[in-house]
Amino acid sequence: MDHEAIRRTLAQGAGEAPDASAIAEATLNTWHQVATRLAPVVGVHGVDAIFSRSLHVTSKDFPWLAMAGNDGNDGNSAALLASLKARLAGQETAAAAEASHALLVNFTELLATLIGESLTDRLLAPVWMPPLPAAEQEITS
Amino acid sequence: MSNKVTIRRLATGVPGLDVILGGGLPEFSFNLIIGPPGSGKTTLAHQIMFALATRERPALYFTVLGEPPLKMLRYQQQFSFFDLDQINESIRFVDLSGDVSTGNFDQVLARITQAVADFSPALVFVDSFCSVMLEAQRQLEGAISLQQFVQQLGILLTGWQATTFLVGEYSLESETHPVFTVADGMLLLDQSVHRNSMVRKIQILKMRGQATSPGIHTFRISSAGIVVFPAAVVRDDTGTAVTADRAPRNEARLAMGVSRLDDMLGGGLPSGYSLLVAGPSGSGKTILATAFLAEGVRRGEPGVIVAFEQTPSQSRTRTIDEMVRTGQIGLINTRVLDLSIDEIVQHLIDLIHQMKATRVVIDSLSGFELAVAPTFREDFRESLFRMVAVLAGLGVTVLLTSELEDRYIDLRFSPYGSAFLTDAIIVQRYIEVESRLKRVMAVVKVRGSAHSDELRQFEITDKGIVIGDPVLGFEGILGGQPRRTPASGTVD
Repeated sequence: MDHEAIRRTLAQGAGEAPDASAIAEATLNTWHQVATRLAPVVGVHGVDAIFSRSLHVTSKDFPWLAMAGNDGNDGNSAALLASLKARLAGQETAAAAEASHALLVNFTELLATLIGESLTDRLLAPVWMPPLPAAEQEITS
Repeated sequence: MSNKVTIRRLATGVPGLDVILGGGLPEFSFNLIIGPPGSGKTTLAHQIMFALATRERPALYFTVLGEPPLKMLRYQQQFSFFDLDQINESIRFVDLSGDVSTGNFDQVLARITQAVADFSPALVFVDSFCSVMLEAQRQLEGAISLQQFVQQLGILLTGWQATTFLVGEYSLESETHPVFTVADGMLLLDQSVHRNSMVRKIQILKMRGQATSPGIHTFRISSAGIVVFPAAVVRDDTGTAVTADRAPRNEARLAMGVSRLDDMLGGGLPSGYSLLVAGPSGSGKTILATAFLAEGVRRGEPGVIVAFEQTPSQSRTRTIDEMVRTGQIGLINTRVLDLSIDEIVQHLIDLIHQMKATRVVIDSLSGFELAVAPTFREDFRESLFRMVAVLAGLGVTVLLTSELEDRYIDLRFSPYGSAFLTDAIIVQRYIEVESRLKRVMAVVKVRGSAHSDELRQFEITDKGIVIGDPVLGFEGILGGQPRRTPASGTVD
């Protein structure tokens, strides 16, 4: 599992000199891509289950994340995500970045223990691929 | 003039399955894979999918409410056919559980249609379909019914030129179910537990437009996936049935490797014959079988032995061990207690082809019967009949041993009534002469050939079986207590 790829993706999404809310925004965007990739394969419920579990695991290091699970209604992933976003945005920038990174790392590792690292990599590789600004510019210009 | 449609048949990639399907799976067919939980439906579907899917022929796997996809992926990955490189390339998974739980089939159908339109799959799997049916009970008012749903799905997928598989737990009691009528093919998987053995079975209940192998076939699931063992089919020799694929019996005779025995058989055992050697424990059946194989090796006729001894290293003679070790004969040694006869026959046929064997020994039928799963024992005689017929079809010469309790009040050749199955019979017995236990042997029958009718004494020495002279001057030998005949001199 390439932890650096996750960090790069989050950093790129947050833009230059991000504040906590930019990080929260990037986290949610990345998460949506992950969920979009995974849901058809492992099912929406499967994705939700692993996400809840990784939130729980991550909150051992970042106790303020644990509250995110309690704020929303049970089983309502939209409310859960909104709560997560608010919690991240309310932190110091560095803490938000670390927690966001840890959450996605925990998620991918948990998924890998269930369906294997190769399949996890295979399914999520497109998400971690950093956007290609150079190529985009070529197309648009 | 003949512009009939030609249906292409797809090779399923499951060993043995194409054979019982009658030559593969018809392209664009609508198939059901049904059976109770744990019978191997999802595994079969995956194995077929990974074998058939290519970039040009992509597969879509819809997971419905059955097995959670997370678990399915976790466990199916354990099989060697699960090729990660195909995921999201030639194989795509689509989870439909959310849509199905609403009970709105229009929506489910729309999702499937959308996915099919996007991906243009040549293969579609829906797993499992029974959950769709259960959900149907609480479908919405005004929505299409399940029957309409299935029919529309069938038409949609055939229209999209997709070969389709619905996986589900149906009970055959609900045979009137619309799906059964719509389906072109039905594969029924089952597992039967008898005492402490478990046997997996597969049946092709229906396959439109082609001749399937009727009846129940067995299969096994290993780390490589499913292997089907087609039930040995006895070729029909009546009418115009070709005798060409039945190896012609030539006039040649095989030396038995025991001097004087060839003479008793009328010049050796006719090639392609099956010979039953029956006798009590310790009478020398295995030694005779060993001599038969060793003689073959000496003459450049490779052999195969199927041994069912409980402790092979002890009871198999050193000669067999040596011949196996040097690759001169093939050995199938099994002590598994849940075999199907078809599985043994399949292994045997493979080994015969591989060794180019012409001599086959099955030692012994008694051990064979023990090794066969209890559920098959009732049909043991029939299966034996099929096996002998299949081996005869291959043109090999077969020697079967059969343990027979010495009974001095009747003359029997096999405990299975299987004596009629074989072309030749040799019987061995103990007799008591002057307070010694002696062995006698006789050729009971050699179909279509003259043979000796003498009871010969024989001994087992270091060099094997040594056949002596005819037992003359006695009568009542088969009664176990011979008396000297009055004419032969001393009368007491």
